[in-house]
Amino acid sequence: MSDLLRRGRLLIPVLLLCALPFYLDAFWLRIGLFSMAAAIGAVGLGLLSGTAGQLSLGHAFFLAVGAYGYVWLAGDDGPGLPPAVALVLAVLLAGAAGGLFSPVAGRVKGIYLGVATLALVFLGHHVLLTADSVTGGFNGSSVPPLEVGGFAFDQGDGLAVLGVPFGAEERLWYLGLALFALTWFTARGLLRGRPGRALVALRDSETAAAVMGVHVARYRSAAFVVSSMYAGLAGVLLALAFRRVVPDYFSLALSVDYLAMIVIGGLGSVAGATAGAVFVTALPLLMTRYADQLPLVAAPGSGDGSLGPTEAARYLYGAAIVVILLFAPDGLTGLARRARARLARRRRPASAPSDPGAAPRPPATAVRAKEHTP
Amino acid sequence: MTGLIDSLFNGLALGSVYALIALGFVTIFKASGVLSFAHGSLLLLGGYLIAVLHDELGFAGALALAVLVTAAVAGLVDRVVLQRIGADPHAAHVATIATIGIDIVLVTDLARRIGGDLLTLGDPWGDAVTDLGPATVADSRIAAITVSALAIGGAFALFRFTPWGLSLRAAAEDAEAAALMGVRLTRVRMLAWCLAGALAALAAVFLAAFPAPGLERTTGQIALKAFPAAILGGMASPVGALVGSMVIGLTEAFTAGYQSDLHVLGEGFGDVAPYAVMVLVLLVRPAGLFAAKGAARV
Amino acid sequence: MTARTAAPPPLEVREVTVRFAGLTALDEVSFTVAPRTVHAVIGPNGAGKSTCFNVLSGLYRPVSGTVRLGERELTRLAPHRIAALGVARTFQNIVTTQGTVADNLMLGRHALSRAGFAASALRLPRAVREQREHLARAREIAELTGLGALFDTPVALLSYGDRKRVELARALCLEPRVLLLDEPVAGMNAGERVRMAEVVGEVRAELGLSVVLVEHDMGLVMRLADEVTVLDFGRRIAHGTPDQVRRDPEVLRAYLGTGAGGEDAA
Repeated sequence: MSDLLRRGRLLIPVLLLCALPFYLDAFWLRIGLFSMAAAIGAVGLGLLSGTAGQLSLGHAFFLAVGAYGYVWLAGDDGPGLPPAVALVLAVLLAGAAGGLFSPVAGRVKGIYLGVATLALVFLGHHVLLTADSVTGGFNGSSVPPLEVGGFAFDQGDGLAVLGVPFGAEERLWYLGLALFALTWFTARGLLRGRPGRALVALRDSETAAAVMGVHVARYRSAAFVVSSMYAGLAGVLLALAFRRVVPDYFSLALSVDYLAMIVIGGLGSVAGATAGAVFVTALPLLMTRYADQLPLVAAPGSGDGSLGPTEAARYLYGAAIVVILLFAPDGLTGLARRARARLARRRRPASAPSDPGAAPRPPATAVRAKEHTP
Repeated sequence: MTGLIDSLFNGLALGSVYALIALGFVTIFKASGVLSFAHGSLLLLGGYLIAVLHDELGFAGALALAVLVTAAVAGLVDRVVLQRIGADPHAAHVATIATIGIDIVLVTDLARRIGGDLLTLGDPWGDAVTDLGPATVADSRIAAITVSALAIGGAFALFRFTPWGLSLRAAAEDAEAAALMGVRLTRVRMLAWCLAGALAALAAVFLAAFPAPGLERTTGQIALKAFPAAILGGMASPVGALVGSMVIGLTEAFTAGYQSDLHVLGEGFGDVAPYAVMVLVLLVRPAGLFAAKGAARV
Repeated sequence: MTARTAAPPPLEVREVTVRFAGLTALDEVSFTVAPRTVHAVIGPNGAGKSTCFNVLSGLYRPVSGTVRLGERELTRLAPHRIAALGVARTFQNIVTTQGTVADNLMLGRHALSRAGFAASALRLPRAVREQREHLARAREIAELTGLGALFDTPVALLSYGDRKRVELARALCLEPRVLLLDEPVAGMNAGERVRMAEVVGEVRAELGLSVVLVEHDMGLVMRLADEVTVLDFGRRIAHGTPDQVRRDPEVLRAYLGTGAGGEDAA
């Protein structure tokens, strides 16, 4: 019965998300689409940095492997595979790239891995610029649209559903939703299963994990590979949404964006990574759109020295990282949980037994600031 | 032959600038266990201050003020933000991520001010060159090597001969014991950040000087190349950082100098060569070249 | 899914020497833990007790000497391999991981379960079933160690004594043949000590395992141990039953010559 209830609670947001394309215009759908892609990537990074405690600044590289892998595999310059096959192979390719780095990822710990992965971003960017027969060099390549069973995820043929024209945004919305659902399902399975517990143990104490039977290097590498695969999937979806991939997009700044997402959302949970992804993705887009109505923010391109919306967004989330680490180490999810607990307490009289959701849960360790295992 | 000497000299000059930055990384790491990802923004801050002040104060005055201000900002970052997070090993990880947030804020602000411009720092060397027999060398490079050598010598003297240096080494050995012996860790840490900030501002001069076109909004990213240098040295060893910096500087200069022979690797490989070296070293020695092999304590 | 029933093989430590940077932490130490006995390793601070445990669980490599569990040589094995052979340990300083008591105990089932990344991500039926079965066994062990009521409580909210017991229960979840307890009652109050001693006695009787015990609390050692090995400055200075050891002049001298063995019960 409670199981049914739980599923019912999940059904409402799902239905809502499915209905949105019938009501929102392309601008909002694009925000949603980019957020979903970012969320997939952020869940992957959350698994590595939040759950396993391995800092990575190389996430942009694996997004690039996914995006360019898809473009090349499905494109005319490459083998020209069916796009759906190219998508799957691109994800596997990103995983393989992560696996190639595993001699480093398996042995270099914590924040040091963050430095080591800087190499991936810069070397990757160099390769994208240099190998122009595959990548299109500085100007990038256009992205072949995805087609599954004869249905194309592009502008298409004037298809309309219930009187609403279904263009690329509407179609890609459902693709994004499906891929995000897959991410949500698999990542939660991982976190709540044997691998997730092993990774948490590894983060909290390598020694304790090892004497409990966890193969340290193998699990570190595996977390890196899995995280790369999610990044690859996010890369493919982003490529489809942008319709063009260029090397400069996959810079260190992008890696830092993803790190910001998981810190702001709250490390160690799928919901947190998702919330952070929506925040970091939507903020600059919304600020650009409403620049004229915001105090202190100038319209984009209105000259030197003024505060553009993109910059304003970067200020905000740079500061958000610092503030969250200082005052609310469990991020947005922690804030939401505390708010829910307070609401629940107010609704019920004080005598009611406290429910588990209200218990002050300790935040994930990579940001668990004050508690130190003696 | 000329090519060889040119590359050698370029490499040494580049290496000494990286050494300034890498020494900052190592000092901070020894004092607090934090990897500073905010170094690029500190370097950019130093460079920017010199650029806007040198008209009024002259180069030397601008440099002095920029070094002081950058040192102060670095110290404040540590004292006001990072030290609030705590001092245990977990906190060091959190603080490392916090430096990324600080870097975003500072770089965004400075980049907005700099815009698309190329700022000159008004250094006295300009594009003058000196004839050294078989090779002609830019004066700015000679200055880079000389000034860095002096600054690094000064930093080593601080490590060795001052009470602060002793406290720093004690804190790096065992922070708890050092605190019990009366070392004021908060001050030791803060001063470590100040020194690192000062060195970063100094490094900015030579990263923006000839033959570089000037200070750009992206100049700060060069600081990241000192990470491979510090990692090569094992992160906690000042001497290691020096050696690592020279390895990185020479690698970069030689790959750039012999680019035509290395065309398989693509144009501009010199810029990313430091990272390639870092990955290769980590494959062989995951803890860096100079790291002591210690047993894990339980 | 249930405890291993066969008697554990003997654990033999033969002339183990460990050095750090010229310092000899263990000097040709030997002892044998007979099946289903409690073997205590005692000695003043810095005597090498923790080093000894770290060798047994594979965290340190000795420069010479061997550790054998029955026919199996443990000396060159990685910690996770030793765990898989049924050697579990607790730590002097509590090292629990984030999450509930259940999460910690399930970590103890790691070596006994199989589900990998793919099976868990896709929630394959065998992964789901495996998880359910191991959770049931973890709950039994929680009951056995008196943690049943706290099974779903976050570890961070537990008292010090309860967290120490979580460590014990987590080690038991490995279904060990040999259990290494590193100062299981350190920092506990008198009541907690008594309960812990009872729990250790019960699990040993019920699960039929060998226990190696490092402890400063001489009362506990004398009550629980069948055999005692005494270390001082990395060397074995005495060996025998608790009574023999208690009367050994070497031991008395090592404990500052004050006579009674209980003054170091920190």
